[in-house]
Amino acid sequence: MSASAVDRATVGTRRPGLLTRLFVSEYLVLYLCAAYFLAILPVVPQMASFAVLQNVLADMLPLLAVAIGQTFVLIIAGIDLSVGSIIAMVSVAGASVMTGDGGYLGGSALAVPGALVVMLGLGAALGALNGLCVTRLSMPPFIVTLAGMMFWSGAAIWFTTFHTTTSSIANLPRGFVVIGQGAALGVANSFWVVLALGLAAHVILARTVLGRRLYAIGRNRRTALVSGVPVGRAVVLAFAISGLCAAVASILYTGRLETGTPILGDRILLDVIGAVVIGGTSLFGGKGKIVWTVFGVLFLVLLDTSLKMLGMSLFFVLAIKGAVILLAAVIDALRTRMLARGL
Amino acid sequence: MIVTRRSFTIGALLAAGTAGWPVFVKAQGTKTIAVLFDGLYSPFWVSGLEALRSDLQGRGFEMVEAISDQDDNRQFEQVKAMLARGVDGIIIVQTDSNAVIPAIREANRANVPMVHFNRPPAESDATSVAVQADNRRITRETVDYMVKVAQQTGGQYKAAILIGDLGDPNAIGRRDGFFDVVDQHPDLIEVVARIPTNWNADQAFAGLTNAFQANPDINFLFTSSDFLFPQITQVMRVADKFYPVGDPNHVIFGGFDGDATAYELMKDKYLDADGVQDLFYEAKLAVDAIVAMGEGEPVDKLLLDPGFAITQENMAEMQERMWGYHVFQSKG
Repeated sequence: MSASAVDRATVGTRRPGLLTRLFVSEYLVLYLCAAYFLAILPVVPQMASFAVLQNVLADMLPLLAVAIGQTFVLIIAGIDLSVGSIIAMVSVAGASVMTGDGGYLGGSALAVPGALVVMLGLGAALGALNGLCVTRLSMPPFIVTLAGMMFWSGAAIWFTTFHTTTSSIANLPRGFVVIGQGAALGVANSFWVVLALGLAAHVILARTVLGRRLYAIGRNRRTALVSGVPVGRAVVLAFAISGLCAAVASILYTGRLETGTPILGDRILLDVIGAVVIGGTSLFGGKGKIVWTVFGVLFLVLLDTSLKMLGMSLFFVLAIKGAVILLAAVIDALRTRMLARGL
Repeated sequence: MIVTRRSFTIGALLAAGTAGWPVFVKAQGTKTIAVLFDGLYSPFWVSGLEALRSDLQGRGFEMVEAISDQDDNRQFEQVKAMLARGVDGIIIVQTDSNAVIPAIREANRANVPMVHFNRPPAESDATSVAVQADNRRITRETVDYMVKVAQQTGGQYKAAILIGDLGDPNAIGRRDGFFDVVDQHPDLIEVVARIPTNWNADQAFAGLTNAFQANPDINFLFTSSDFLFPQITQVMRVADKFYPVGDPNHVIFGGFDGDATAYELMKDKYLDADGVQDLFYEAKLAVDAIVAMGEGEPVDKLLLDPGFAITQENMAEMQERMWGYHVFQSKG
């Protein structure tokens, strides 16, 4: 046996060190969140205040809703660039139904439930449309959702002009606004909404046949097809779930701003994909968990909040976020290589 | 524990880094004002931010600033972050007059005064103060002069107006001011193009290009904001419409803001008139209001900058009051 072979054999049997175990742990991003929080405290002591922690949670929730949907799409090795436009379209469509300023159901008892049905239905339908274009027309998800992003952004602005002379639809009923702003049992309503969404998404991915099929498609689409997985149907469902999650986020954003606006979600895409990738979900498919996405969103929002508290310029914040997302991709590649080599 | 050279180096670097942290901590006893803009997409906003910074620093305030890049939700989060940071006042330029209402409510709950710089919010039960130019009146003065030129020159006029983002009350005021005047002269002026810009230069460029293609005889043009001048003059050059006052092909041309490009176009006689917002006065009004509200004094809900129209006739006497003139001069 050569010396290098002996070394490899020794390394293979040796228990990896603490740092190595931390590095490959699926909780790495959570540890980084804790480390970052502790490191930033001397600079921004207010980060530990109840108000800021509340802000972190409130800012996380709508973003997490969209990111959960994006996790499904990334797991099948797709991407959904249209989530921001879906958020905008859903926001103005829902607002047009319930606004007190001449909404289709404005002033009636059905205004809020009607608007919620329209918002969730429209989100899922737009997502399913993306999925159908990908499967039936064999178009790359990147092109389909890029085109969708442009189309629905324009459509949202156009739609708004039919309902108001200003650029947004206001005067939304209190019963709707309270979803984004109110609290139940001392905890924000949006927390309960996103908790339910997250649990449902986790169960689908971890405990159902659909979940197993989505991972199989992401790992190797052709193999999944040969193995009898209904690839087309599963892909459409993944995109529909992404659209539905974007609609949930739109409900929360629209509620917190009390306004249906066609530019809502215009600039959210970097945060959504960034959060999912930071969490560890692979851009190449077949790997991802909802809990990782939670960690990714937490990290991004902590970073964002601390930089805001420091009064950093938006451009600096964007540069730092971009660098962190790139670093996350590099770390993911290194971890994958280490695990493939048995550490 | 064995300390290796590598771990010692990393530890020393971390120690050196953390030792520098306390210098970032805010000086005690200084009042802090957050200035939150939705973007710096025109010279008016760049100069406005500078005017506020200079005024606040001159009065001994610390200023923290943030840009939301026309993202309503991000601006809402910025307001909450600034409140959590414990600022003593907020001066804000919001993207949308409706979507800013929850942010005002947050500031009200925290008992932190909020002033809207140059762009008032929609009507609501939330309490804040807005500083705004008298857009409608200033536009009327500007377009009145343009109509006077048209009457003196004679002939029929085909007009185009570039309209701003209609979520911005300023854009609505300027649009209404324009129509207040031209609607009184239906025999002289026909408005053939209403070009939506949403305060977006690309959209303005495309819209005006289309308007000139559809109506090559447009000879009366008003822009609701001066920041679109580079795009407008480019389109006019391509359409062979860019001639100075006195030339038979001159398009009667007016704008709004009073920026440095407007001054230059006025000086070179391409622009007939420009509505001027008194930027330095507006900055002073905003800071005065924050100080007064912080001391519990009552302040009017709307503080109006009367502004004025600078024209080819009164330019010599009025240019000193035009903020763009000073920016132009400072550039040498």
